This record gives sequence, C-alpha cells and structure tokens, in this order.
Amino acid sequence: MAAPCRKMASRSFSQLLYCFNRTAVGSVGCRRFSVTPVGRARPQAGPAVERATSPWTLMAAVCLQRLPVISADESPIEQRFKQMMQQMELEKSMLSDHELRLLEDADRMSRKQAGDYDSDEEEGHGDQEIMLGQDLEDTWEQRLKNFQPAPRVRADVDKDLTSVQRCLADSLVLLAEQQVGAEKLWLLPQAAWQEGETLRQTAERALGSVTAADLKATFLGNAPCGVYKYKLPKAARTESSVGTKVFFFKAVLADSAPAKAPNTALLWVKKSELQKYLKPAYAMKVDRFILSL
Amino acid sequence: MNHMFRKLSVTVTQQASALNQSLCRAAPSIQHPAWCCAPGNERRYKGTPTHGIGRWKYLLPKQAPKKKKDRNQTKQILSATDTAHGTLNVKVSGYDMTVVEHYSQYIHNLCNRLGIDVAESYALPTKSTEVMLVQDQGNKTYVDAVLKTHQRVVQLSSLNASLCPVFVDVLLKNQPEGVQLSVKEHTEADFQARFKARPELEGLLAQISQ
Repeated sequence: MAAPCRKMASRSFSQLLYCFNRTAVGSVGCRRFSVTPVGRARPQAGPAVERATSPWTLMAAVCLQRLPVISADESPIEQRFKQMMQQMELEKSMLSDHELRLLEDADRMSRKQAGDYDSDEEEGHGDQEIMLGQDLEDTWEQRLKNFQPAPRVRADVDKDLTSVQRCLADSLVLLAEQQVGAEKLWLLPQAAWQEGETLRQTAERALGSVTAADLKATFLGNAPCGVYKYKLPKAARTESSVGTKVFFFKAVLADSAPAKAPNTALLWVKKSELQKYLKPAYAMKVDRFILSL
Repeated sequence: MNHMFRKLSVTVTQQASALNQSLCRAAPSIQHPAWCCAPGNERRYKGTPTHGIGRWKYLLPKQAPKKKKDRNQTKQILSATDTAHGTLNVKVSGYDMTVVEHYSQYIHNLCNRLGIDVAESYALPTKSTEVMLVQDQGNKTYVDAVLKTHQRVVQLSSLNASLCPVFVDVLLKNQPEGVQLSVKEHTEADFQARFKARPELEGLLAQISQ
C-alpha cells in the first residue's frame, strides 16, 4: 500500500481495512489476514515548508509481532471453574434432537422386544428406520479416531529462537542484529528517515531491507506507538548531530511463508526474553508498548 | 372575619359559639354538606387566600412535545479527517454464538472505557451453511451438518489515529479462537444492506418506469 508522500508536518492518512481470521484450518504459525487498502490520495499541500533542521537523526523502527496461534493453557483454578461451569450447563440444558432420537430408538427397541408388539401400530418412519441414532454415533466415533490433531506444544521447535512457529500460545516480537555506530546490537529492525517520506514508510522500508525476508506485515496505524531517544556521548556530539530519535510502529505478521536465509540474524522472542537481548535503556522504552496479554 | 373553614365537632362548635361568635360560621344556613360528607376532598375554593397553593408545573420551562423516536434514522456517516478515522464497522463473526456475542460485548465495553464513541451496535442476519457429504456407498449426498455463521457489528463514530494501533492490538491479542474480526469503513451500501427488500414496491416502480 503506497501512501502518498507528505511532509513531516502534515501526515497523510490512508485508510486500511483489516480482516483478521483466526480459524483452525490454515497454515500453522500465522493468522490469515486480508488487507484492502483504501488509500485516498490527497493532493500535495502547497509549496515546501521551510523547516529548521534539527540536530537529531530520525529513525523509524517496526515492532513486528506474531500473534498467538492457539489459546494459552488454563491455570488450575481456571480448569476447575471451567469443569464446574460445564457441569452446571449440562445439568440445566435441554435434550438435543439427537439425544431425543436416541431415547425414541431405545423406547421403540424395548417395545419391539416386549412380546405383544404390533408393528402396524407403530407410526411410519420410513427411511429413518435404516439409520438408528446409535449407528450415527458409531460412525462419528470412527471418524474422530481417524482424525489426528497437530500437537499443541513441540519442545524442540520452542527452543529454536529463529523459528516463527515457536511458542504458539504467546505473541512473539521480531529482533534483528544491526550495526549501530561501532558495535552490533540486537534491536527492533530500524532504518533512517529520508526526506520526502512519512515515518511509517520508513518503518516499512526498515522491515523490507533489514529482514530481507518476504515477511508480509499489516501495519496497525499511521501513528507511532513509542519513541526512544539516544544522546551521543559528549565526545561524539557535534553541532548538527546530538543523537538519534527512534519512533516505533506496530505491525502484525500476516499469513505468509517467510523465505529462509536472511542476510541478518533474526530472532523471534517473547516479551519475557527481551531483557536478555536488548540494552536496558532501550528495553525500558520498548517494554512500555509491547502488550503481554 | 375568618373565612377559614374548619371541620368542627359538635362540642367544639358549641364551645366556640360560647366563647367567640366570629370563629365559627355565624349563618347556619350556609351548609356545605359535600365537604362534611367527603373529608378526603381538600380543594380550596377560588376565593380562599390559599387557593392554588402547591401548584408547580406552570413554573417549569415549556418543553417541545416529545417526538416518536425514529429507530432507523440514518446516522451521519463521518468521513476521515487528518487525525481521526471516520465511521468504522468492527465486525465479529463466527460459528459459536456465545463466543461471538461475548467478544462483541467486550469490544463495546473496551470502547466505553477508552472513550471511543460507539455509534451503533447491531447484529446482521445469521447465515446457515449446510455441509453435504457424499455417502460412502453411492453417489447420493446427504446433509451432514448445518453451520450457522453469526455476525455482530460494533460501529464506531470516530477513532483517533493515535489510539488506533493500541486499540487494534488489544483486540487482536484478545481475539478468541474460531472468531473472525474485520475492521472496515462504513458505507451507505452497508447501511442499505440491512433493510429487507420490498418486492411490491420494486414491482410498482418498475411498472412506472416502463
């Protein structure tokens, strides 16, 4: 989705239509999304605005999240409560059509074997006589036995931090190792802002360039969700560059099979594991907008 | 002269008449049997100084007569501004009605808490899908199951652009299994789709246009 180029002062606004599916059928590891962009191309506003150049370098980063695929396991209290509620609902419920049919069949069977059975008195059922309720149940049981569900938790995949299919019950965040200044750091994928593009386009570019993998992401909005300010050490500060400001944008991984072999190291980590990889000051800012629900 | 009418018992009347002629009715011919017989009626006659005491409704400001509420009124469809989305439809659909309804209620409550204006919250008609399977022996298909898709829509009048990513993120993180979530702009076509078709009217219109 190409949003029109705008100055920083007045951001463009493209409407996005989201359609998020969470169904059992589908590729493991991602939810199915359909994004229909309704980008209203607004004409460029007037002549170029004179802006005072700021001493801060601007960068945009993307917080790409892979949402949970399966529901989390219940705690002991939740399990007990769930059992109790199911029991109560079962006791309060009415009989379903199938259960009524089973009772009728059993009743008819007992009447048939009573001795003084007169089949003419029986109400005509026709075809239904062929398939008893019990037979239906047997066929269903047979089909259930043939069905093999996929395992919910796979310990070996969970340990592999680069796999996008680990920890299906939690939401994961993408980290990339990038060269910042003199050292290599683990960060959310970021790229420097260039003239004539919106910060969100910078974030999209960051995702495409840093990961170099075919990750389809749906950005959740045009507004950043967090900011991290980094002041250069006194020795390195000059008139024109005091430090960098990084703006974070949230995105959600859409259903796609990411191509293997990216050129930079990528990790999918849970929120609890972020502390191990990020610098403390950076982690403090990032923690604020990553929801651990 | 004291014009206050008092319900006097006989003894009091006698006493009063003994003490002070002016306290009780001087002329016995002026009889008000209605008041003697119906002690519940306390309306004062027009000449009494306290006539109209207790009236208050005439002091209230004049209110326009209440119009009958038009439930299917077309609400204004807001368009997007630079800082906010326009009218959005958050549609929740799925096979399990309790889950779908609870999730839509959760979305509604979340909007109330976050201060997002909810224009409307309605349900679209349920769609039934019949699953037909081919029998093992033979080519005849039989109805295996009937799946009903329930849809609930929460219509937001406007959504702040800065709040949008947070809101959508929370919705996604709390999305239950088996439920599809869709956030779209509200259009006139969406509104018209909710109404039933009127075949007689359309027939007459076609006749006129012919």
